[in-house]
Amino acid sequence: MAIESYDEYAALLDAVRGIRWPARSAVRGGIPGAHTSRLRGISAEFTEYRPYRQGDDTRRIDWKLFARSDRAYNRLSNDRAILPTMIVLDASASMAFPVATNGKWKLAAQLGVGLGAVARNSGDPVGLVVAGEEPLLLAPRMRRSVTHEIIRAVSGARPSGNTPLSPSVSIASQSGGRVVIVTDFLGDAEELLTVASRLVAAGREVHAVHVIAREEIDPSGEAAMVFDPEAADVRRALTTDTRDQYLAAYGEWRDRIAHEFTEAGVVYSTAIVGAETPDHLIRRITAPRGMSATA
Amino acid sequence: MTFLAPGFLFASLAVAAGIVALHFIVTRQPRAALLPTARFVPDTPATTVARARRPSDLLLMFLRVLLVIAAGAGMAKPMLTARRGAHARVILVDVSRSARDTIAIRDSVRAIYRNGDAVVLFDSSTRVVTGNISSGIDSLRPTLRRGNLSAALIAAVRAGSSLRERADSVELVLVSPFAKEELDAATDTIRKQWPGRARLVRVAAPSVDTAAVGKLEINTDANDPLRVAVTSAGQRGTGNGQQATGNRQRETGNALIDRGTTQPLQTVTPSREGGALIEWPASTRPRFAVPRAVKDTVGGVMAGEAGVVASFERTWSYPPDSLRGGEVIARWVDGEPAAIEKPDGPGCVRSVAIPVTPVGDLVIRTEFVRLVASLSRPCAGITSLIPADPAVVAKLEGKGGLAPRAAFQPVTDTRSDLAPWLFALALAAAIAELFVRQLGKNAKTSRELRPPSRKARAA
Repeated sequence: MAIESYDEYAALLDAVRGIRWPARSAVRGGIPGAHTSRLRGISAEFTEYRPYRQGDDTRRIDWKLFARSDRAYNRLSNDRAILPTMIVLDASASMAFPVATNGKWKLAAQLGVGLGAVARNSGDPVGLVVAGEEPLLLAPRMRRSVTHEIIRAVSGARPSGNTPLSPSVSIASQSGGRVVIVTDFLGDAEELLTVASRLVAAGREVHAVHVIAREEIDPSGEAAMVFDPEAADVRRALTTDTRDQYLAAYGEWRDRIAHEFTEAGVVYSTAIVGAETPDHLIRRITAPRGMSATA
Repeated sequence: MTFLAPGFLFASLAVAAGIVALHFIVTRQPRAALLPTARFVPDTPATTVARARRPSDLLLMFLRVLLVIAAGAGMAKPMLTARRGAHARVILVDVSRSARDTIAIRDSVRAIYRNGDAVVLFDSSTRVVTGNISSGIDSLRPTLRRGNLSAALIAAVRAGSSLRERADSVELVLVSPFAKEELDAATDTIRKQWPGRARLVRVAAPSVDTAAVGKLEINTDANDPLRVAVTSAGQRGTGNGQQATGNRQRETGNALIDRGTTQPLQTVTPSREGGALIEWPASTRPRFAVPRAVKDTVGGVMAGEAGVVASFERTWSYPPDSLRGGEVIARWVDGEPAAIEKPDGPGCVRSVAIPVTPVGDLVIRTEFVRLVASLSRPCAGITSLIPADPAVVAKLEGKGGLAPRAAFQPVTDTRSDLAPWLFALALAAAIAELFVRQLGKNAKTSRELRPPSRKARAA
C-alpha cells in the first residue's frame, strides 16, 4: 500500500521538529555548518595555541602573544561544517510485509521522512535513494522543500523485486558523509556489510536500521506453506515442528547481523513494526554517541 | 449368484472400506503464506494430515473401490447357478476295454441321464463330459485301456462337489460291466469317500469266469536259464497245470516266450490264435525298447501280484511313445516299465526287458517263477472280460440314502465365467486410476508453481 498523503507525515514531522542530529565524530571540512569539523580554522571560537612551524600561514600568528612572549604561536579555532546525509531505503519485495498493512515499508518510509527532516533541521543537506525495481535518487539538498520531495518519493515507491541494496549504498556514499540504510537485511547482507565497512573506514558515518515485522519474529502458530517473495524456489512448511527451529535460526541470524555491523563500526538499530512510535525510533537513532538506547 | 471363495469378496470389502476411510483422512499441503524470512524455516516435507468432512478425490476413491471389489469378486469366483433341484446324479460310465457292448452302455446312460446330471467317463483315466452331454453320450466308444474304478470314484466325488449347488442330494450311478481288472485294493476304501449309496447298473458284456493260457512254451537254446523258470511256471499257471474251478474257463491259446537266440520253432504266431507272444530276448533289444543312455542296476521288479527282489542290470528302457496302444505289465521298483503288452489280432505281443542272469538261483526262486507266470498270463483282451466277484461289487452299492449336498466340499478350482470379466474391470479401473492420479498430480504441480494470487497472499 503506497503512502500517498503528506498529511500522514504531519504528526511525525511535528514530533521530530526539535530533534537535532549531531555527527558522531568530527566531520570533514566544507561548507560551514553545525557539526564540528576536523579542520582547524580561523573562526572566532578560540581553541588553542600551537607553536608556529615553518610553512604555517603567518596571518594566523597571534602577534600580541608574540609581543608578550617573544615566541610565535598560531591561534587555532574549531571549524564547523555540514554533514550531507543520504538515506537509503530498501524497497525490495520483502519490505512489503505484512501484506495486509505493508508495515515494514510504511515504517521504513516514516523513518526516511523523519530522519530526513531531522537532518534538514540540523542544517544538513539531505538526499534519498530508494533501492527497488525502479530506483530513485534525490541528491542531497538543504532547501526547505527537500522534506516534501522525500515524502513524494517514498509515496510513489512500491516495494518489489529483489534488487541488491549495496550498489545503492555505494552511490549514496558518493554524496553523503552520513549514510542511513533502512532495510530488513534479507537481500545482500554480506555485500552490504562489506560496503558499510569500507565507508566506515573512509570516515563516513553509517547508520543501519534493521526493520523487522512482528510476524517475522513471532509467526502465526497455524501451519502454513511459507514462501519467500524474493526467491520463488524457497517454499517451506512452517508447522509446529519447524517453528521452534525457525525462531532459533532467525534469532541467531539477527544477532549475527547486529554483531557484524556493530563490529564494523556501523551504528546499528533495530526497528520493529508497531513496537515503538517512529519519532521515538528517530530519537534513538539520532541520539549522540553514548546516549542512544539500544533496542 | 454364489461365490466359490467368498472370503476374497469379504476381504475386498474390508479393503474397500479402508480405502473409503483413508479418503476421509486427507494429506495436503498447508495454506500458502508469504514470509520474507522463509529461508530460516527448515526444509522438510510439507504435508499435514487432517480428517475431512467429505471424502476427498471422489473419482479416485470410486476407481480404487471398484478396483478392489472387482478384483476381490473375481477371486471369489462368482457362479451363476440355476435353481437347486431335489437331487442330481453323478453317472460314472465305463468306457474301458471291459465295456465292449457300447449300445448297452449308451442305452443305460440315456435312460438314467437327466438334465443337470454330471456324466464322467472312465477307463484308466476319467473325463467329465461337458457341453452337449446328449451328443457326448451318443458318441461313447470303448477304449483299449484298462478300467480303473478307483480313479472313477475319486472323480465322482469331485463331480459331486460340482453338483453341490444344484441339488439337495446327489446320487452315484455306476454304469459298468464291473470287470475284475477294474477293481483294485483301494477301490473299497475310495468308495467309502462317497457319502451315500450308489446305484449299480451292470451292462451286459461277453465274459468268462477265468482265463488261462493253453500251453507255455519257450523258444531258446538248451542253456538258457529261463527255460527252468518257464518249465516251473508252465506247471503252475498254464491250462495244463491248473485246474479250472469255474464253469466258463476260457483257454486262450498258447503263450510263447521267444528269447531270440534260435530260429522260431513254430511257424504260427501264438497271438494270431488268441495267445501271447512274449518277446524276451536274452541279449538283443526287446521290441519297442531303446537302449538306456546309462546302464544302471535296479533292486526289484513287479508284474501283477508277483515281485522279485534281486539285482537287475537295466540295459533297455521303454520310451513313452512305445506305450501308445499298449499297457505296462511289469514295472521296476522305481516305476519304470519293465515289460509292456500290445494287442495283436485276437492275442497280444509282449516285450520284456528283464535280464535273466545265469549266475545264482534267480531262475529257480519261487517269486521269479511267479513273475514268469504273470508275464505269460492270458492277454488283457481276455482277462478284461473276467467279471469281478459279486460280493465285491455288492459292496460298491453301499448303504444309506442319497449323498446330501452338505457332505461335499465346495469346489474352489472351478472356472468362473464371470471372473475374467471382473478381472478385466479391475484392470480397467487400475489404469483409469493411474491416469486420474497422474492428471491430479500434474494439476497440483502447476498450481504450486503458480505464485499465489494477491487474494491468497492477503489471506
